Amino acid sequence: MTSCRPGGAMPARCAVTTSFKPELLLQPGTVVTGKWNGKKYKLERVLGAGANGQVYLASVGRSVCALKIGTEAAELQGEANVLASLDGKERGRGRPPFLLDVDDFQFNGRALPFYSMRYVPGIPVRSYLRRHGGQWVGVIGHRLLERLAELHEAGWVFSDLKNDNVLVHDYGRVELVDYGGMTAMGRAVRQFTEIYDRGYWSAGSRTADAAYDWFAFAVLWLHATDAKRLFQLSRSRLPQDRGIEDLMKLIRSNPKLRPIEQWLGKALRGQFRDTREALKEWRAAHRASDAAVRSRIPAWMTGMLVFSAALCLTLAALWLF
Amino acid sequence: MKQILLITDGCSNVGESPVTAAAQAWAEGIAVNVVGVVDEGSIGELGAREIDEIARAGGGMSRIVGSRQLSRTVQMMTRMTVAGTIRQAVNHELQQLFGLDSVGALPPDKRAEVVRVMDELEETSELRVVLLIDASASMKPKLSAVEEAIRDLALSLEARTGSSAVAVFHYPGEYGHLPCALDCDWTRDAAGLPALFARIRTKGTTPTGPAILQAVDFIRQTCGKIKEEWDDILPSGRGDAGEVRSDYVV
Repeated sequence: MTSCRPGGAMPARCAVTTSFKPELLLQPGTVVTGKWNGKKYKLERVLGAGANGQVYLASVGRSVCALKIGTEAAELQGEANVLASLDGKERGRGRPPFLLDVDDFQFNGRALPFYSMRYVPGIPVRSYLRRHGGQWVGVIGHRLLERLAELHEAGWVFSDLKNDNVLVHDYGRVELVDYGGMTAMGRAVRQFTEIYDRGYWSAGSRTADAAYDWFAFAVLWLHATDAKRLFQLSRSRLPQDRGIEDLMKLIRSNPKLRPIEQWLGKALRGQFRDTREALKEWRAAHRASDAAVRSRIPAWMTGMLVFSAALCLTLAALWLF
Repeated sequence: MKQILLITDGCSNVGESPVTAAAQAWAEGIAVNVVGVVDEGSIGELGAREIDEIARAGGGMSRIVGSRQLSRTVQMMTRMTVAGTIRQAVNHELQQLFGLDSVGALPPDKRAEVVRVMDELEETSELRVVLLIDASASMKPKLSAVEEAIRDLALSLEARTGSSAVAVFHYPGEYGHLPCALDCDWTRDAAGLPALFARIRTKGTTPTGPAILQAVDFIRQTCGKIKEEWDDILPSGRGDAGEVRSDYVV
């Protein structure tokens, strides 16, 4: 339930249940002791700061976790409720729980609410692709769609899907972070980022459904491989003119995305039966584009052929005359 | 829940004080939020103070932003005001029943239950927002951004489970005898919004106070009695909220 962070590279993170309270930053080394459950956390460093709180890396004994500290108890509790509900639904899958503890602590005479969650390692998709190359799109997308399928099957829509919230580590393994925007299907999306939002591109409603996530998923690849042109486009178009076709033009002129143009078009238009089908087609689209790359004869080979043919002819001509 | 959202870029200069008008709205159960839009220069100390005071008197919040931030600011305020109204009602109830000063004073497991109910209310309660747009001459270049923000808000509200509608007024009114003019009556969907400010002729005066009062009249006439509405908004079976049993009172 965060949002509207002023400034930054992604300026338009929009939405709603945010406080306008001033930022509070605690020093590394601060020990946070829970008022109700008595757990002790030592803050190591800041992982991120949103409009309704900060996330710290914290150590508890020898293990680490992420600790979100806010100012508005009801708001943080709302996020913790979503995580708890997700954990409840996913217990059978053998996935470790996300939410570890919900509590308050005293700081400068006031009670600050916090919750702790599993620490997720990794870097955002865009940075990962820059470091390891565009060939990872297939694997990362596959794992991400798999995760989304799980959420959708449990009745949730992630909704604030974007570069910053998709962390990649160890050979394209993907974890979603910031579940604060997660919305039950059929409800209004509360947290979104303009450029990833279906409504912003006049491509549909803000009612949470699986297709809302597919749309953001497609924009994610534009952002990850072609951020500059994406932002330029969003700035240059009038709101009433913005549409899916604008995004498709970017995709068609992007050599990295062109091979999966058809898939991305279906994602933007919400044309899959469900997320499993989207995943199946994603896989097929990437296999097909790999095969296309393999069967294509490189230009230098063609060049050599022409050159050698010309050489033969010249030599033949010289020998004959 | 009823809200007036005022979008302006300067001081009022005609009629009643907008601060008392906002206080009157709040006394009738209507929260007043204010956005000051400035693109170049500043809104001036006087304007900033007035905006802040209108929001305080109107039980809402205020922000001064550039027109690029308008859409998200409008949405955030609307949503936060809904959440704030619910929080206030719940806190009041907790105070009355248990002498606790807020939800934060409950132990985490009880808090989880109460917040679940609060989130449910936030999504399902009925919501009416009157957008009151300053159309004085200096606002002219910002009106397209205002229109976009209104459409974007309507799109978000349309997705809510609870019945939601917006109405749009601009002020000063066209014919001089009314402080503001209706651009769009209550509408539930973004597609139902007409082109809003295409034919507007911007004028010099800024009767903010009278315009707020006219918006209050409009809400009273079209939405019935406002205060008693809490009884309908809040679900009667509240067993899942733990000990919170009686009706919330605003």
